[in-house]
Amino acid sequence: MNFADLIRIVWDNLKAHRMRAVLTTLGIAIGIAGVIAVVAIGQGGEAAIMSELESMGSNRYFEIGPNYMKNETADSKTFNLQDHVLIKELSPAVEKMAPITLGPMVDLRLPNSKEKPMMATLYGTTPDLLAGLNGSTEQGRFLTDADVTAHSRVAVIDAGIAEKYFPEEGALGKKIFVQDTPLTVVGVMEKSPSSMMQALSSRIVYAPITVAQEMLNTKVISQLCGVAVSEEALPQATSDSLKILEKRHPGVSYMGSTMEEQLDMVNNVTSVLTLIIGAVAGIALLVGGVGVMNIMLVAVSERTREIGLLKALGARRRDIMQQFLGEAVALCLLGGLIGMAFGIGGAFIIALAANWPPLVSVWTVLLALGFSAVVGVFFGLYPASRAASLSPAEALRSL
Amino acid sequence: MIEVKELTKVFGMGAATVEALRGVTVSIPDGDFMAIMGPSGSGKSTFLSVLGCLERPTEGEYYLDGRDVNSLEDDELADMRNQRFGFVFQSFNLLPRHDILRNVEMPLIYAGVSPAERRRRAEKLLTQVGLGERLKHKPSELSGGEQQRVAIARALANDPLVIFADEPTGNLDTKSSIEIMEIFQKLHQDARTIVLVTHEPEIARYAGRVLYFRDGEIVKEEANDELRRPDPDCLG
Repeated sequence: MNFADLIRIVWDNLKAHRMRAVLTTLGIAIGIAGVIAVVAIGQGGEAAIMSELESMGSNRYFEIGPNYMKNETADSKTFNLQDHVLIKELSPAVEKMAPITLGPMVDLRLPNSKEKPMMATLYGTTPDLLAGLNGSTEQGRFLTDADVTAHSRVAVIDAGIAEKYFPEEGALGKKIFVQDTPLTVVGVMEKSPSSMMQALSSRIVYAPITVAQEMLNTKVISQLCGVAVSEEALPQATSDSLKILEKRHPGVSYMGSTMEEQLDMVNNVTSVLTLIIGAVAGIALLVGGVGVMNIMLVAVSERTREIGLLKALGARRRDIMQQFLGEAVALCLLGGLIGMAFGIGGAFIIALAANWPPLVSVWTVLLALGFSAVVGVFFGLYPASRAASLSPAEALRSL
Repeated sequence: MIEVKELTKVFGMGAATVEALRGVTVSIPDGDFMAIMGPSGSGKSTFLSVLGCLERPTEGEYYLDGRDVNSLEDDELADMRNQRFGFVFQSFNLLPRHDILRNVEMPLIYAGVSPAERRRRAEKLLTQVGLGERLKHKPSELSGGEQQRVAIARALANDPLVIFADEPTGNLDTKSSIEIMEIFQKLHQDARTIVLVTHEPEIARYAGRVLYFRDGEIVKEEANDELRRPDPDCLG
């Protein structure tokens, strides 16, 4: 039996039970759609987070914070305003270092504005932070040492805030209220390279750390952000910083992390998540496969007489096997194609809503289709071999 | 030439066994038109199944043109059914989902005949049985007699030497029965071997030889010279 004949016979047989074929197909379709959508969403999300992290710092960037693995949290004794200066002086591996006092949710508004304040993140820091960020100011300047020592009420805002509040006239020299403290805008950061990341990242205001500590009424420095002299010096820079800090603050436990480690961590988390959800979708596919097997067994027992006839007409074992396997695989592939359409559609819709790239890789699609064919072969094999092993006379006698 | 010796067929296992054939010995020369008669349960259909290689005998010898059939593999039997035999059944056994052209093409598909050639052959055969105008009809759109004619066309697809027919007129009215038997007669004149199971004496009259089965054994065999010309009135 050649391939075209096989296809035609399989198609005629499936057409005879349209409703049954569609319902059986549905199980596979749901499974495949799930797998494709989950993988695409996972990869898209991962790409979004990665590119944001990458845009945040260079490959020489590292952070020192309290060791959260030992349940350590930042308080007013964890870091002080001299730590970063000393580390820079003592370690030749450290080129830049900036402390950060974080105001995670501050109100932002224009003077005399009745509008609802905007939620923003306040970074109280020093000029060195700019080297750690993967960007520069688009207008004006970044913070200076003078700003820090003089407690100047100035701010550098990111492009998103500037666009929102000063769409035409330019932001430099304008006042904005951060937690009801007026700050003069002296600089605007350039736009993040990927516009998709822009929407994901929160709005950020940079202010001199001294001013931020007054505004937030805190002495807590949550972390130090450093830049090593070279990528090779990164481990040295991190360990030097840790040593110096542990000497200066006995009893406090610190940990350093580099961009690479953070990327790895995010990678791990997202791939584990993708794996788990993917496994659930895979189980749906498996259930679909059992549905196919069930329907094929029904088909074999319904068509026993027909199988006997085909054998009487000269069908070999292989011909019968091919026909029933072909039906199972066709059901699964059909489901795979439908599932593919829905999976890709779903991935695009979610990517659109979440504002990250819709990453449907050709490999995912081919893998999913290939897998649905394998499901067809696997779950079709038993019914098909049952059909093929029937004795022709016995099959013909059955009703 | 078909030769069987001491064929037995036992169904079931242990205590619940049924002996459908208990030592049947017969030889059917090429070109023979043989009818098998007997009450139901006498083993005549089982005998036909074994002759048609649809079923293996429990014991006994089977030679087709001197070749030992019992020693053949399943796939070799399938090829034999495909190339050497044609089957006609009481309930027609057409594939309901395919048109009649496709039905007749089925044995040719298994024989590996090219699409153009098998279409040509199937069309020719269907034309010969008077259904040349209805190639695209489904079996359900035809009368019983027409369906049986499709089945005969299908049995002839690979130009076999032997036709096995199991009660081919069992589901047909008298007029259709006569039509079908006339086709068999013509096939017989074309020097094909025909083995036909029936329980209607009027149908058995068409054959040149009649075997009578009872309880799995041949109890009587008679040549049918004087009955070869059937009297249509008997059928009416």
